Amino acid sequence: MAVSPVVTHPADALQNPRAVSSPLKNASSAQASTNGTPTTVPATSAATLPTSLDLAEQLNEDEKRKYVKGKKLGEGTYANVYLGFLKSDPSKAVAIKKIKVQKEYTEGMAPDAVREIKHLQELSHPNIITLHSVFSSKDQNLNLVLEYLPLGDLEMLIRDTDSVRYGAADIKAWMGMLTRAVWFCHENFVLHRDIKPNNLLIAADREVKLADFGLARSFSDPYKPMTSNVITRWYRPPELLFGAKHYSGAVDVWSVGLVFAELVIRTPYIAGNTEMHQIQLICQAVGTPTEENWPGVTKLPEYTVDKEVHPVRGRDHYMSMFGTVGYEGVDLLMKTLTLDPKKRITARDMLKHEWWHKDPKPTRKQDLPKKSGGQEKVGADLKRRPGVLDEDRGSKVSRKLDFGAAK
Amino acid sequence: MATEDARYRQSSQYRLWSFTPSDLATLREKTNTLARTHISDRLLASEPPPDPLPAFLTPAEEYTLLTYFTYELLRAAAFCQLPTDIQATAAIFLRRFYVTNSVMTYPPQELLKTCLFFGCKAEGYFMRLQKIVDTFPKTTGEMVLAAEYVLCQGIRFAFDVRHPFRALEGAVMELRRLGDFADDRINEAHRRTRDILKFSPLVTDVYFHYTPSQIMFAALAIADEELVRRVLREAFSGQAEDAKDKAWGAIQDCKTMLEKEPLEKLANYGSDRENKKALKVLKDKLAKCRDPDRADLVALQKARREQASQKPKATPSLKADEEVFGGRIGQERESKRRKVALDGGDLFGPPL
Repeated sequence: MAVSPVVTHPADALQNPRAVSSPLKNASSAQASTNGTPTTVPATSAATLPTSLDLAEQLNEDEKRKYVKGKKLGEGTYANVYLGFLKSDPSKAVAIKKIKVQKEYTEGMAPDAVREIKHLQELSHPNIITLHSVFSSKDQNLNLVLEYLPLGDLEMLIRDTDSVRYGAADIKAWMGMLTRAVWFCHENFVLHRDIKPNNLLIAADREVKLADFGLARSFSDPYKPMTSNVITRWYRPPELLFGAKHYSGAVDVWSVGLVFAELVIRTPYIAGNTEMHQIQLICQAVGTPTEENWPGVTKLPEYTVDKEVHPVRGRDHYMSMFGTVGYEGVDLLMKTLTLDPKKRITARDMLKHEWWHKDPKPTRKQDLPKKSGGQEKVGADLKRRPGVLDEDRGSKVSRKLDFGAAK
Repeated sequence: MATEDARYRQSSQYRLWSFTPSDLATLREKTNTLARTHISDRLLASEPPPDPLPAFLTPAEEYTLLTYFTYELLRAAAFCQLPTDIQATAAIFLRRFYVTNSVMTYPPQELLKTCLFFGCKAEGYFMRLQKIVDTFPKTTGEMVLAAEYVLCQGIRFAFDVRHPFRALEGAVMELRRLGDFADDRINEAHRRTRDILKFSPLVTDVYFHYTPSQIMFAALAIADEELVRRVLREAFSGQAEDAKDKAWGAIQDCKTMLEKEPLEKLANYGSDRENKKALKVLKDKLAKCRDPDRADLVALQKARREQASQKPKATPSLKADEEVFGGRIGQERESKRRKVALDGGDLFGPPL
């Protein structure tokens, strides 16, 4: 049986099946009964509650006991986030995300939680948040033990124009980390479907990690439709706004392109107030999708554009706005913001782009800019419901780009 | 080493749910022993204790029942017209669950419904709870949901199951590309293999011991062995002969295991008299020896929830107050009372 791996976890736990006293355990009746005086189990619990943990519960307890839960970092409608640490090594911090039971969701475990656990269990990469463990607590709430990322997120750095300074080399380093994360997802046939700056968390060593897989899904088979109602509006590609039901990794690449643009200009590049508005802004900023530049686009279920057709923006326009990342940087940006998803660059080809090799070299991660006060932010990021804009954020975007005037 | 192999080793299927046959057998024996011990302890503690104790299922009997209920699950899934991969995921959930849980502990006829419901969720296909309720007699939504946590815990939160279906499509494309065989022959093998994959691997233990590609090749070898040899010759060209022999050996072993539950069994599983009689004996035995506390999942969940919500309320409320008030509420009040007492023993002061 050369092919079968020996997996030690369950066997290990079994060596010592119920050795540790468990909270559900009543007085052991085994001994009592052998000497003829059976212990009476307390009437209230005997009727319904088992007197000892079964094997699965025991394994769960073992996981739970590995961690100590500390102070609450954030509280949200979807989850609460706590700081925690490894019991065996208190210097090892973790974030414990406790998913709340959704009263209004009457179909059992929340789909976001199922998706997040499913995909994070499979993805192990330096630029993707690590799921250390999952356990359920006594009240049957799910607890996700996640990598602790104390330095906030990319959005904080972008937004804090007063005290955070960064340049082309820093952007290149961050984009490299983001692109590798997305490449790894796609390589494993997972679509993230909610890439945006506040889902890019920063570790203590300043490595950027893609988080929040609450909207992720596996690549679909060709005959199976997918929902087009994913990805936070500002980062949503035109094919999803037009209601496409069959799409690819290109949807994530568009979001990556918009994060790239946002890193350069330090404000959301295409920030629509409604889906219609988002389409209008895309037409102005990138160009109007037509049969010429995107064969078949008019057949998409919700294809609607203004009468006035904007030609696809040329290199000069991008150079004038995003020139700080150089000619190659702008080339990469333009390839991610291609209207037709079939012609849009893939994550794999992004990694092969020549921009990475041009000067300046990407900043070493220990030299990347950081910001203090990330702890609260981690709490806020992890507890958020996926796919929605922070309510206060739309109003905070002071500078809305006026594409009309740019003509 | 091929990176695809390395990547498969990262999957939860490999990390958590792959065993050697002897490890799996040991696990099942331990699960069975634990359940026996627990149930007999529980029965002996009840008033009055049953005499004699019921006969418990052996690990082999549990396995027979599990296979039967997996079959029932597949039948129900087909009735609900669920796609193949969801059917397969639900079946694998059931089999994984009963590695660490005994059939005597949690009722499989209930768990199979939850497996179907949660299998849909895990595959990103949201079936309404009501659909399950409507499909099965004497079932409520509450019953299906009550086992959801138990199930998730039992499958160790590994929701991604890797199936051999897509691998088959890939192998068929490869065979067409090689162009050594007539289309009809490839199509026939394709159809037959797909049917095998929908049944035999799900009612045997091959998912615990072999990779999806090994399972796919083993099923294809049942349909048309020459095709497998051709693909392997291509894949291992330029490599040492023993690497190919090793792969072929694993495929043969897997094939032997699959042939224990051949496709033909599917047709007469329900109608086979002998089989039916044997199952009836086991089901009767199960009815007598099951865990009295865990048979009713709804009540169990309710009790667990109640226990969880009562605990923090009962004890820490006082403690919490003490924390807020610096832990000396009692003392302070006491000292005030003393002060009043010293001042003359009368709250309204000394006599005028």
